[in-house]
Amino acid sequence: MGWPATSPPQPTDARGRPAVTRASDSIGAVAAVEIRDLGKRFGSVEAVKSLSFDVEAGRVTGFLGPNGAGKSTTLRALLGLVRPTAGTATFGGRSYEDLDRPSSRVGAVLEDTAFHPGRTARNHLRVLATTGEHPPGRVDEVLDAVGLTEAADRRVKGYSMGMRQRLAIAGALLGDPEVLILDEPTNGLDPPGITWMRELLRRQAAAGRAVLISSHLLAEVAQSVDDVVVIAGGELRGQGTLEHVLGGAGAAPATEVHAKDPHSLTRALEQRGYSVRSEGDRLLVLGATTEEVGTIAAEEQVTVLGLAPQGRSLEAAFFELTGGDT
Amino acid sequence: MSALLRAELLKLRTTRTFFALTGSAVALSLLVVVLTATLIDGITEREARELFLSDFTGLFILLLGVIGMAGEWRHRTITSTVLAAPVRTRLMAAKALSYAVAGAVISFIVTVTIMAVGTLILSARDETTVGAGDLADVLWRNLVLAAFLGAFGVCIGALVRNQIVAIVGLLVFSFALEPALIAVASQVGQFGPTVGAPNGFVELNAFADDEKQLAPAVALMVMVGWVALGFGAGAALLRRRDLV
Repeated sequence: MGWPATSPPQPTDARGRPAVTRASDSIGAVAAVEIRDLGKRFGSVEAVKSLSFDVEAGRVTGFLGPNGAGKSTTLRALLGLVRPTAGTATFGGRSYEDLDRPSSRVGAVLEDTAFHPGRTARNHLRVLATTGEHPPGRVDEVLDAVGLTEAADRRVKGYSMGMRQRLAIAGALLGDPEVLILDEPTNGLDPPGITWMRELLRRQAAAGRAVLISSHLLAEVAQSVDDVVVIAGGELRGQGTLEHVLGGAGAAPATEVHAKDPHSLTRALEQRGYSVRSEGDRLLVLGATTEEVGTIAAEEQVTVLGLAPQGRSLEAAFFELTGGDT
Repeated sequence: MSALLRAELLKLRTTRTFFALTGSAVALSLLVVVLTATLIDGITEREARELFLSDFTGLFILLLGVIGMAGEWRHRTITSTVLAAPVRTRLMAAKALSYAVAGAVISFIVTVTIMAVGTLILSARDETTVGAGDLADVLWRNLVLAAFLGAFGVCIGALVRNQIVAIVGLLVFSFALEPALIAVASQVGQFGPTVGAPNGFVELNAFADDEKQLAPAVALMVMVGWVALGFGAGAALLRRRDLV
């Protein structure tokens, strides 16, 4: 079962004509998704703590954090599946439950999306199309878009994990939604599938849709996302463009320095606001160029034995931001 | 709401369980009617009427209702179901209504079939048959009873998420506990949801003392009360549950 290379199907109305999206139907012109002071407690466990962030239309936002960070709980609160204990999670100011025909506004693929094993893929989508009042023709369109046309009349219990994931994505695309939410969508996908997924996300964003994709693996989404929201322990650790939050190629300089008196130099660098990590007999100074480190060492009269610029990988930055808990 | 109802009816029609249980209802009902009509001699008009109450749709649609609701948790499809229909009370109402409609439709097919076959056999054997008026009376009561039990099954499935526990518990209640309660305390048992009130509604002479059987109109109200109670409790539980 190969991955299709076709463009995503355009929605049609019941007569097969291209569907028209009215301006009044749009979720909103500003933030497509707004999370405000969201909190969720399960008994004594505080899964999400006063979390706030936005997801903009036309951009792919990576929702990153280690396992157990609270990503899935946040997404489920956004989708009305769990009840927040504090704050709000809305689409253009309206909760998911208050959206008119929600599947035409928001498409979601959750980590544990399950299907009735005895139902065929086509019938699964027919049920969703009927519930969402989408034209029956959309079923074949989305089946084709995810490359499941040939397997459409097979019962889902015979599907591989990758095929199930594609079926879940087909369900999310059924209503041609303005917002796509995907929780760990690359789980179970083979490398061509992951590539297909990245292209799909980019196409959706290019078409003006807001895409929110969660992952605990930065490497899987780094190539697809415009913005990132990083959480750990249920708390926001960073939000903004990928480069701003985690540092991109050439950004966020770092310098490795070998000093005769590392303690004095560390104190001096930290007094000037730099983050310093001790690595054996050397120091790694984050956010500082070799010139800056050399100048400070000279001012403090610390003898420098070696000085070298260091690249800072996205993974290392992500690791630092999430407290090393990946 | 109509879209939700159509979707739930489509769900029902797109699994093998539905056809297996419907086929079983037809087969079992036919078996009882054919055997009775063939073997019994000197059947009375009342016995002939009660023969056509042998519509097993009620039992099977009750089980289907439980499977339809509790199965959402068993197969973990409740998440996608609630995503498609986020107003949970409306979702449960659509489910209960769809199983009520399905129960009525299946009961219509089963009852008409057993009436046709039973009447043919009884006529061929020169036994007493049931008049058209009485047949129509039995038919609508069977339909209403099946509709009630379909909706009631959904309510049970919403209250007891474990499908196996729900089905086994319901069978034990229907075939052992409620009949036992009727036997030892019919003044209480006549209000039961799976035997007592249904028997009163269809005027099936199941009690030793007819005075302790509810009048059909009262039995119907009791049945509606059971569904209302089950729906209220099930919907409240469904609304409160976090789907994690």
